[in-house]
Amino acid sequence: MDNTLKVAGMRKSFGKSLLFTLPMFLITFMFMTGGKPNFSDPASGLAMLTAFLLVNVLYFFMHYTGKTDRYRAVLFIIFALSLSYTLIHNMLEVRKSMSFSQADILECKIPFCHLVIPMMILPAAFTKSIIFPGSIISGFANISSMVVLWLVATLVLGRGFCSWGCFYGGWDDGFSRIRKRPVIKKISELWKWMPFAVLLMVVLSAALTMMPTYCSWICPFKAVTEFERVTSVESATKAGIFLSLFGGLVVALPVMTKKRTQCSFLCPLGAINSLSNKITPFTVKIDKDACNECFKCVGVCPLYALTTDDIKAGKVSLFCSKCGKCVDACSRNAIHYGIRGIPSGTMKNFSRNLFLFVSFLFMAIFSSGSIINTFHGLLKLIF
Amino acid sequence: MTDSLILGLSSGSACLATCGMVMFPYLMAGSSGVKRIAVDLSLFLITRFVIYFILATLSWYFGQALFSNPVVRNIVPGILYIFFAVMLIWYSIGKNRSPNCPAKIVKTINNNRLVPILLGLINSLGFCPALFIILTKGATQGTLVQSYLAFLAFFIGSSIWFLPLPLAGKIRKKEVLKNIGILATGLAGIIFLIKGITNLIGGIING
Amino acid sequence: MKKVKIIAGISWAIFCLILILILFPGLNSFSGSVSKLPFMKLNPRYTGGEIANQVIQERCTLDIRKPVFNGFLKERTSGFVQLDWHGTIPEMIKDSIDYDHDGNMDFCILVDRKNSKTVLDPISKKVKGVVISTPTSYGWAVRIGLLK
Ligand code: SF4
Ligand code: SF4
Repeated sequence: MDNTLKVAGMRKSFGKSLLFTLPMFLITFMFMTGGKPNFSDPASGLAMLTAFLLVNVLYFFMHYTGKTDRYRAVLFIIFALSLSYTLIHNMLEVRKSMSFSQADILECKIPFCHLVIPMMILPAAFTKSIIFPGSIISGFANISSMVVLWLVATLVLGRGFCSWGCFYGGWDDGFSRIRKRPVIKKISELWKWMPFAVLLMVVLSAALTMMPTYCSWICPFKAVTEFERVTSVESATKAGIFLSLFGGLVVALPVMTKKRTQCSFLCPLGAINSLSNKITPFTVKIDKDACNECFKCVGVCPLYALTTDDIKAGKVSLFCSKCGKCVDACSRNAIHYGIRGIPSGTMKNFSRNLFLFVSFLFMAIFSSGSIINTFHGLLKLIF
Repeated sequence: MTDSLILGLSSGSACLATCGMVMFPYLMAGSSGVKRIAVDLSLFLITRFVIYFILATLSWYFGQALFSNPVVRNIVPGILYIFFAVMLIWYSIGKNRSPNCPAKIVKTINNNRLVPILLGLINSLGFCPALFIILTKGATQGTLVQSYLAFLAFFIGSSIWFLPLPLAGKIRKKEVLKNIGILATGLAGIIFLIKGITNLIGGIING
Repeated sequence: MKKVKIIAGISWAIFCLILILILFPGLNSFSGSVSKLPFMKLNPRYTGGEIANQVIQERCTLDIRKPVFNGFLKERTSGFVQLDWHGTIPEMIKDSIDYDHDGNMDFCILVDRKNSKTVLDPISKKVKGVVISTPTSYGWAVRIGLLK
């Protein structure tokens, strides 16, 4: 079959794309408005409308153009920025500072984040308790709801969570897109295993110290969310680590390598998510009959999930986050979204449509609150 | 104790993936079932335990003698931690990491009873930055008991990895285990580097 | 076999689709159920421990919590005891505390709230020092480091 025809196979006509967008349109409408749009506060109404249109236009274009990653990335990056905005805005409004105080820790008021989950496991099993100063059920980002969200997302999307659900991933995804060509082209394969080593270390150290050690000592995203007030050499060291890891792994290296280096070389949750890729229904598959081994996909993968050996073996590695960048890059449609059990090269459209609906719906709803909040803040700033 | 345990756990995984794979055939040699394996493994672990016990004692007495001057006591351990931690990090990321384990020496030994003991000796006395870090720690402890505890934690952490050694033949992704172990060792190095820097700063401020 | 695999794969995918569809409307009830799991409670190292004794003072109340020594597999040798003052707290807090209820005072504490200064006078050898002393939304809280 001719190449252009194969790509055209992923595209849809205008009408068909609209039809495919309709369910997303209705569900996001219900979620964002609760069924009754309210324009009594014009800024809130406009923010909600903008967010609603944004997600649906992006979803429409995914079907209309047959491309996935470029539209996914827009929402994913906006999600990351808006979540940081929301958190910082809340902190500044309530506490007049980006750092939390000892009182916040003592009163267990720290918002929970999914990166804590790996560190919770051993203490939860052995001491039947949670080692985090947050709220179990009430308030913003409480532990129970974040655990449920992550658990379902991981079960359904596997490491897809890292390209469709994580509110941090958008940061290095965004920076990895700034340059046209990478400055650093080769990085040792060994580093791919670093998140597992970090996972091992933080799980053990958290259990032994009964402290979420990754959050207290390592997490680069403290730089764009909230961190402990600098009052001692220790807290200054921590702040230094947060800022340098953010500067190095989230900004500088992604710009220079065009890869998501924080997610590839550090995040321990990414390691767990990779393991869960083994059970999720949605996968990325290689149609060996269609593949001419041009290895374009290998070069574009932002998570070092593809090697030439993987392509030759016809199997995507467990690091894949289902971002769709390789799928978009393949002119022969040889690498494609698939469903476990369905042989590669078959039912490509069905698999893609189902995967896109599930993953995009998750991201659209999960991100809507903070995106609306951010648009609202921006509108208030402008008018 | 926590950092010693972490150091043991992280360096033990790399150790198992490299030396463990050499030791395995020897521990298994001429084996006649689980009992024999258990005896060999116990001999190996007991040897390590005894060596660490001796090292804990020696390092502490050395520490008492060498670090009696308060200025030295406040500053030298920090410098040693930094030095050995950098060595440990270098070992984990360096390309010249020796692919050959010293345990290969046992190929030349004929007496099967001696092999696990010799392996225990080589393993616990190996030229390893993690061992130097734990020696520094032992030397800087306030009491001899604390030094024993630090070594005990290191021993437990590193020994856990050897317990499933009889199953080593069944581990398929040996390379993956080795990579993760080596990187974890590097991370333990970073922990001790931070500890060394804080010790040094604290030492300078107090000293 | 191939067909069975395809049907199983598609069923799994459809199940996941349904899971995502009900996830958000059902989030509150799912979270409610998860919060009732036996391990879903905060460790005393974070909550400060249960209230062991309440001392009603002139215009405020002092909660003395149970000492916390919780560790991973066993209790630790060092821990803390948390004291919370709430109500109308005086500028200068001064209290003597018997945290282990042995009839003897273990330490005296003086908090100058205005200057955020805390002075500890340890009586028992088990009392190590002030870990945290901070204003809170309900008043003032102090954590004192302890040895077992
Ligand atoms: S690797 Fe970590 S930070 Fe990156 S997207 Fe995944 S969970 Fe988020
Ligand atoms: S293999 Fe493809 S879908 Fe998976 S992370 Fe890499 S580019 Fe994204």
